[in-house]
Amino acid sequence: MNSRQSPASPATRAEMAARFVGRDVTSMRDFTTDELLFVLDLSEEFERADEPRLKGKILANLFFEASTRTRLSFHAAMARLGGQVIGFADANVSSVSKGESLSDTIRMVENYCDAIVIRHKFEGAARLAAESTHLPVINAGDGANQHPTQTLLDLYTIRRIHGAFEGLRVAFLGDLRYSRTVHSLIESLARFNTELVCVSPPQLRLPADILDDLFERGVRVREEFNPTILPQDVDILYTTRIQKERFPDPVEYEKVKNAYQLDRKALSIYPTRVTVMHPLPRVNEISPDLDDYEGAAYFQQAKNGVTVRKTLLSLVLGAV
Amino acid sequence: MATDKLQREEKTIKVSALTDGTVIDHLADGTGLRVLRVLGLDKGTTYPVAIGLALDSRKLGKKDLIKIERREITQEEVNKIALISPEATLSIIRETHVVRKFRPEIPDLLESVVRCLNPSCVSNHERIKSRFRVLRRDSLRLRCEYCERAIAADDVELL
Repeated sequence: MNSRQSPASPATRAEMAARFVGRDVTSMRDFTTDELLFVLDLSEEFERADEPRLKGKILANLFFEASTRTRLSFHAAMARLGGQVIGFADANVSSVSKGESLSDTIRMVENYCDAIVIRHKFEGAARLAAESTHLPVINAGDGANQHPTQTLLDLYTIRRIHGAFEGLRVAFLGDLRYSRTVHSLIESLARFNTELVCVSPPQLRLPADILDDLFERGVRVREEFNPTILPQDVDILYTTRIQKERFPDPVEYEKVKNAYQLDRKALSIYPTRVTVMHPLPRVNEISPDLDDYEGAAYFQQAKNGVTVRKTLLSLVLGAV
Repeated sequence: MATDKLQREEKTIKVSALTDGTVIDHLADGTGLRVLRVLGLDKGTTYPVAIGLALDSRKLGKKDLIKIERREITQEEVNKIALISPEATLSIIRETHVVRKFRPEIPDLLESVVRCLNPSCVSNHERIKSRFRVLRRDSLRLRCEYCERAIAADDVELL
């Protein structure tokens, strides 16, 4: 399937939109490729238009784990479309700190809202939340597992810049072991005849089960283990923060925390512009001197986050 | 002489009348005790249980066998046996008749059968049933429905 299709007919559009009403978005695995492309197409439309299509709707933003970007962008997306937001930004202020089970929290919250967004440190928490309520649940990150709206905004950003996915050469740099963002973006890009290069210290290589899956599917993928040497012949450098909070052993973190840094000098090996992406927050991975580099796309990613979240909220709440 | 004796013993175990209960035969050699453990029969039981280990078998060379009197094993238990010894045969006996004879089959979804080894998986922190999707049966591969980690046969830990 080509990643840049002609616009859907009104009938197809209505049929596709109907598939999303009341639906949970917990994992990129739940999206068929045509559904994924539909969300991207619709996001292009939604990027420009802010209608009060969610007026009277309430979103519960349940952030059991800290987040700035994702929480605020869901909030902004809801507000842009006329809806309202309730919720919390820290598990310590919720009844979880009193020992309430996740299922009970969700069954209580469902009485106050129309849709739920959840971030949680445990992997599979969004799936469990979705099983606990009839309301649509959107996963805003569950431990090292999935972060589907980040993946959608990354895909949206890539397609906005490069036009299509087919034939793109994408290098992933940094923590490929614990980064959920990388895992689900790789899984999605692998659907579109892309070429993937995984560059990490050996301790942070892509998990074997993901790599096996890519090989089985015949995806062109290779690994490199020295992040200070950038791979040649790539269109996109997708960089990640080495996430201290995911390391069970602090000594292991100290060994790899400054494994690489991108700056203008490092990028001088590329004869033409490469797209530099990062899910943010960055620490030392990207030098501020790259911020005005024409390929720097990380702040654009953050901006696009609001767009794809507007689209998804409108879809699951039946307002398209 | 010794082989004759073993064969006689095997015959004795097989033919001794079981009025009601379950016979788990053709368990792969060395898996009998593990099956006993996952069925919870190693912690004392009110039903008589007989186990034969490393019995001679024409089909398998060596096999293990378990007989449980007055208890028919459940589908959940059958699923566990399928993961340990898929070649086993199960017979359900009622009033001395074999009313059902079957091979365990690995279902598409395993609920409350396998423990997720991922310490960050929500199934290890909340009171919920573990759930695994079977990706491959030939060389066993499962995926946790919660944390989405895939595991191979060697990493399967039964509940």
